[in-house]
Amino acid sequence: MLAETRLRLINIARYPGQMATEIIIPIVFASMPMLLGRATAGADAAANFAANTGTTNYVAYLLIGSNVFTLVSNAFWHIAYWLRFEQETGTLEAIYLTPTSTRLLASGVAVYSVTRGLISSSLAYLIGCLVFQVDPFEGNVLLAVAFIFVGLIPLYGVAMLFGALVLKVKESNALIGLMQWVVSFLMGIFFPISVMPLWIKIIALMFPPTWMTNGVRSALLGVGFFFGKWYLDWAVLWAFMMVIPLFSFRVFHRVEQGIQRNEGVGQF
Amino acid sequence: MTTAPKTQPKLMTGMAAWWDTLVVSTQKELTIMLRYPVEFVASFAQVFIIVIVLTLAGLMFSKNGAVPSKGTSNIAGLVVYGFILFMFLSDTLWGIGYNVRREQKQGTLEQLYLSPASKSLTLLSRIMVTLIWTGSLCILSGVLMSTMIGRLPFHNLPLGLFILVMALSGTFGTGFAFAALTLRVRETGQTIANLAQFAFMVLCAPFFPFSALPDWLRWVSRAIPLSYGVDAFRSTLMGFPNGFPELAPFGLELVIVIAFGVLMPMIGFRLYQLEENRARKKGSLSEY
Repeated sequence: MLAETRLRLINIARYPGQMATEIIIPIVFASMPMLLGRATAGADAAANFAANTGTTNYVAYLLIGSNVFTLVSNAFWHIAYWLRFEQETGTLEAIYLTPTSTRLLASGVAVYSVTRGLISSSLAYLIGCLVFQVDPFEGNVLLAVAFIFVGLIPLYGVAMLFGALVLKVKESNALIGLMQWVVSFLMGIFFPISVMPLWIKIIALMFPPTWMTNGVRSALLGVGFFFGKWYLDWAVLWAFMMVIPLFSFRVFHRVEQGIQRNEGVGQF
Repeated sequence: MTTAPKTQPKLMTGMAAWWDTLVVSTQKELTIMLRYPVEFVASFAQVFIIVIVLTLAGLMFSKNGAVPSKGTSNIAGLVVYGFILFMFLSDTLWGIGYNVRREQKQGTLEQLYLSPASKSLTLLSRIMVTLIWTGSLCILSGVLMSTMIGRLPFHNLPLGLFILVMALSGTFGTGFAFAALTLRVRETGQTIANLAQFAFMVLCAPFFPFSALPDWLRWVSRAIPLSYGVDAFRSTLMGFPNGFPELAPFGLELVIVIAFGVLMPMIGFRLYQLEENRARKKGSLSEY
């Protein structure tokens, strides 16, 4: 598993431009609504934002959203694109013939993806806070980190489910592109989920990144946990952590078996 | 045994050949697009979700929150008109510029250059696709955004359309230049397209007024012709409210936009031709 992680880390180290882009993108992305808000609301920007979201610190609020989004889209891109890439290059068939389990390989890719995502999003958050002159260490940083770490496991579980879909429909780019924006919307990347209609809110609450984003925001900015107390929200993420990975490995395994039986591994 | 065809295919020359090649190349691009329904639907839906996400984010700074304002909204104009140019630039970079890379990867670029069809038309056909596809996306997302933020201001429509046409012409020229760059740098083109897109998002201020930028950065914006396109286009359609246009007097902005629209396609296309010749001489056309 670690060999798979190392292989991918060595590979990405060869593309520093890509890494730099990954740090710049969340900052630029968060700055769009920030600049619009500042220009249109003027002196009332912070007060209006607080009335709608629960905090005057809109810089940190938006940066948290865009950086959690980076973690989430990394999970989807790396898992799904790994499978699709192997499919396209014709090596997926070979992988299924080796004695190594695909679960182990997928875990190796997930560890690589988490390492890459955590490094780039932490740097993006710190640099973004520095550029927009806010304190990045405001609030309970340890609690925020705890929400991220517990949230990452079910997130990769969901990414595996998505990987199974990519194996099945043999398409990645468009699906990931769409999925990452659906996810950004559901997790409330730049707004609280309270602005959504009830039925969308229910779907959003069934999705681990929503709890992760709100947990981090509540820990750092005090916007309020969904259940009022941090440990209750954290417990929900733990519940996701227990259920989702097992469920997604099961689904993934079934899809794998299906495509192995129906000549689908080598086709793309 | 082979049978000779009863009628010889009609040899087309001049304008008829040019037009026919353009139509066929455009048809080819659209057919490829429609053959991948997952990709087609996903990219369509994706744009709408981006619009909703950015609109909701902007609304978090308004007094009413996620409630659209009654009557005409200048914020709607600011964001929607900027969004239109952003969509075109983004699709131009990827659809025209980076598409050359797709042909290279598929191994069809070499074949395209061996066919008797005009090389310029393969690039032009991508413009047609961008105009059809991105144009419809822009109209639909404009409608969606205005229902979320408030009614769009619609002033000086003919002048606004003229500025849009000039800005788009310049943008397509930028796409040709980017296609030339992609032939040279190959895979790095992807990173450059990403960076160019994000640079545009900040420096050409499509989603916020230029006044939101720090002074020194506004000077960088003034060095980019497309910034004047964004500023002149939205100021015109918004009916020149107080403080608009922001970068220069309107007359000067109009001259810059026209010059950009006329010269950039020529410069971009010339750059593409030079790079294409270089690649053919070096034998690197199909290398990737």
